[in-house]
Amino acid sequence: MRALAAETSKLASLPAVWIATAAGVVVPGVIAAITASAALGAIDRGPAAIAAIDTGYQELAFGVVGAIILGVVAVSSEYVTESADSGGGRQITTSLTAVPSRLRFLLAKLSAIAISSAMLAITAAVTTMGVVRVVLGEHAPALGADDVPRLAGVACYWVYSALLAAGITVLTRHGVVPLAVLIANTSVVSVTYLLTKITPLANYLPDMAGVRMFIRKLADSTAEISPLTGGLVMTAWVTVLLVTAAISFTRRDA
Amino acid sequence: MTVPPATRTRGREAAQALAAELSKLATLPATFLTLGGTFVVNLILAIAFTNAGLRDSTGTRSAPDIGLASIGYGQAGFVILGVMAACSEYVGGQIRTTLTAMPRRALQFTAKHVALAIVVLPAAAITAASGVALAAGVLGDTAAPVTSGRVAGALGGVTAYLALTTLISAAVGALVRRTLAAVVVLLGYLFIAGPLLRDHVPAARYLPDSAGFAMWFPPAEDAGAVTPVHGGLLLMAWTVVLIAVVVLGYRRWDV
Repeated sequence: MRALAAETSKLASLPAVWIATAAGVVVPGVIAAITASAALGAIDRGPAAIAAIDTGYQELAFGVVGAIILGVVAVSSEYVTESADSGGGRQITTSLTAVPSRLRFLLAKLSAIAISSAMLAITAAVTTMGVVRVVLGEHAPALGADDVPRLAGVACYWVYSALLAAGITVLTRHGVVPLAVLIANTSVVSVTYLLTKITPLANYLPDMAGVRMFIRKLADSTAEISPLTGGLVMTAWVTVLLVTAAISFTRRDA
Repeated sequence: MTVPPATRTRGREAAQALAAELSKLATLPATFLTLGGTFVVNLILAIAFTNAGLRDSTGTRSAPDIGLASIGYGQAGFVILGVMAACSEYVGGQIRTTLTAMPRRALQFTAKHVALAIVVLPAAAITAASGVALAAGVLGDTAAPVTSGRVAGALGGVTAYLALTTLISAAVGALVRRTLAAVVVLLGYLFIAGPLLRDHVPAARYLPDSAGFAMWFPPAEDAGAVTPVHGGLLLMAWTVVLIAVVVLGYRRWDV
């Protein structure tokens, strides 16, 4: 418990976490405002009375970049070498002196990441859905009981993405490569999406399966995956990756 | 008391600064790791795109279009290279040594960017050409006919685009001074904010990423689209303005 408090305090005092928070809340919020006003224009002109079912959710799928940054910097900051003026050390040696059990340290770290990315997801979801409602007014898709599991899916997707990012960074010990790969893959046309054009198996990659938890109409989908299956597939990916990361972390020199 | 005459001319000083920056860049392990990694990843993506092209899911059979599609992702490697080149100065205080040896900051900054361009231009050309060659080879006779002028234009455009993007990244890196933060800002813009703005805001076509894309992406049909030449000029203007702004700050701020 004290290890968790320590990790939370370290995470909260990282400047990069503020970039992550800003990215996670501002990106989906602003995009939602832009797409919602475009949808409003279409509604005024056309026969449709209600915006598309995925309004808001689509944007939250991009906002996950905030959770990814959070997961990467939480781990990579431990491995940054300080300048020679301040001893040239790395924080990880201090951390492991304070919490010698590697598994306990990693568990505390991952829990802190999961808690903070869940909070980030909730903030972002509230902001984005609020923006959609403000812009669209009566034309917004109704929020009902259906949306509870979908919003839970958003939070789940964000937490899993942050944990995936953290797990990859434990293996690489440097933030740039996981950050570049994962951000490039959050783009509008992601690499994994293109892979689904080549093989339907790519639909079971973690991000493609994970978004099924809350996106209902995936463009040009080549496989039908139910929200629950999507969630389970992503859980499996996260579990495998975190176990690999834990094994490597407990066995390698720090 | 007389001031001793300067021992070297301005031209010689500039040449020595360029040589120093080139030597720093060439001995940075990250340089060739990044370029090599980008080359390999780009080739793998090009194979994937070519496979998709064989199944007609790309909507085109033109070898340069399919072979260059992977550059949209491969540019991440060039962004990282630019940021690393700038931010490696701030790891462990190398910048103080650099500025002791080259006190004229604007000259040092220019030399760094010229050196970066010298390293990146051939690398970008090789990376782009390898994708196109692969697509042309695999598609073989089924490829849509293209003129060699179109291929040369696309390759030239993409090479210039990648080089200018690297220079922009280096300037942002020098401004932010932290590798991760600079990478987040640039990639977040290039991969998330840029494409979304392009879809929704018409004026976004003059932003550096969209203008740069016009240099090599299959030209759009609509009349208001930016032509490759205009795109190149726009991106060059963005790069020059950004570097000029950063130089002004770089000359005034403490390191």
